[in-house]
Amino acid sequence: MNLFKPFLPTEEREIIDSIRQNGGERKKGEERLFNRYSYLIKEGIHKYALLREEAFDLYSDTIISAIEKIADGSFQARSSLKTWIFQIFHNKYVDLLRKKTTNKSSIHRTLSITELLSQISDHSKTVIQELMEKTDWEVLRQRLVQVGENCRRMLMLWADGYSDKEIAQSMEYKTADVVKTTRLRCLEKLKQLYHSS
Amino acid sequence: MENYPDYIEAYFSGALSPEERSEFEKRIEMDKNFAEEVAFYLSAKQVLKEEVNREKKEWFRQLADQNPDLEKQPAPVRTMWVYRLAAAAAVISVIFLSWYLFLQKPASPTQMADRYIKDSFQHLNVKMGDGRDSLQIARQFYNDGQLTSSAKIFENIAQRDSSNTEAITNAGIVYLRLSEYDKALAYFQQLEKDTLYFNPAVFYQALTLLKRNHIGDKQRARELLQKVVDNDLDKKEIAQQWLEKKW
Repeated sequence: MNLFKPFLPTEEREIIDSIRQNGGERKKGEERLFNRYSYLIKEGIHKYALLREEAFDLYSDTIISAIEKIADGSFQARSSLKTWIFQIFHNKYVDLLRKKTTNKSSIHRTLSITELLSQISDHSKTVIQELMEKTDWEVLRQRLVQVGENCRRMLMLWADGYSDKEIAQSMEYKTADVVKTTRLRCLEKLKQLYHSS
Repeated sequence: MENYPDYIEAYFSGALSPEERSEFEKRIEMDKNFAEEVAFYLSAKQVLKEEVNREKKEWFRQLADQNPDLEKQPAPVRTMWVYRLAAAAAVISVIFLSWYLFLQKPASPTQMADRYIKDSFQHLNVKMGDGRDSLQIARQFYNDGQLTSSAKIFENIAQRDSSNTEAITNAGIVYLRLSEYDKALAYFQQLEKDTLYFNPAVFYQALTLLKRNHIGDKQRARELLQKVVDNDLDKKEIAQQWLEKKW
């Protein structure tokens, strides 16, 4: 046990525990997290000279990133939640500056699946990335609406990091295996809709 | 008809063996249809993630609209009792430290190991250039404090390519920092088999044993440090210094 881990305040602990739950409890945790550090929007406006919309977007992206890391266990409380959130906020501000100065917004498209891509060997990754660059993202997004509400909700929960077991509980399916089969069928349906365009 | 989705899912969830993973990757390069299936899986996940994030942002907007004073809230501050506790702990620490220094006890082996880890393993060098290969990404995750993500990538690379000494070394270092000493030891033992000219594997094994501190670890660590000195291995000077201290 590391005795030098920072004392997490009770509220921070409660937020973390809530986000690691399912369904309604997780949503409450996400809301508390969003509310607790919202002063950063003002900091973005005054310290970083951002427009209000930019500061709000930056803060939203920060909280979304934080939720992901808390939910998947990557946040290990090596610092307080407050310090960690600020670090993410600052790093995203630096990314925003780089985007503005280099105008390379298109190459950041696959950042959210970087970890998945990094599992593939570099040579195979190049093949996949070249194919992904040919994706018609707007059409794919539109097909997502056509795939049906049940499929859409299930696929979104999956993309949001919920396990098949958690999806089963949330959507009242019998077992995780049933969810997995259904989810893969939904992906197949999405693929057929996309290719039929 | 082959069940591509299941197979692709098994790859990305880590359910395939290293040999099966290697076959999967070769297939991407040889079979265009299969590569397209994998690309679609990832593209779909990408778009879904963007949709999830877009809906979350809309929800955040609604929260902000419902509470116009949200942004005016001050930053949370720790309550007074934490500061009092911290102050009391500081006073006690000073008293204890003075007593300890007065008695001049030698540094414990775990302290020596902690100091070395703090000085040497806080940062991995990210090489300049435009490339975003897996090693670069893993180093970046490490430097950003995302140790678990970093460990996963280094481990994947090491499993795919057992001759990649950088991945093996860094996997060991990340697991050492994550206090997963058995895994760290396994990587440093694997590294020892490499014929690198400057191979710190034996020293790193000693370091890990000092941190793990199970029964017999200290003695074993001394033996390994002696081996570093006797065989003129990498980190010989530090090993020599540590052996000269009484522990």
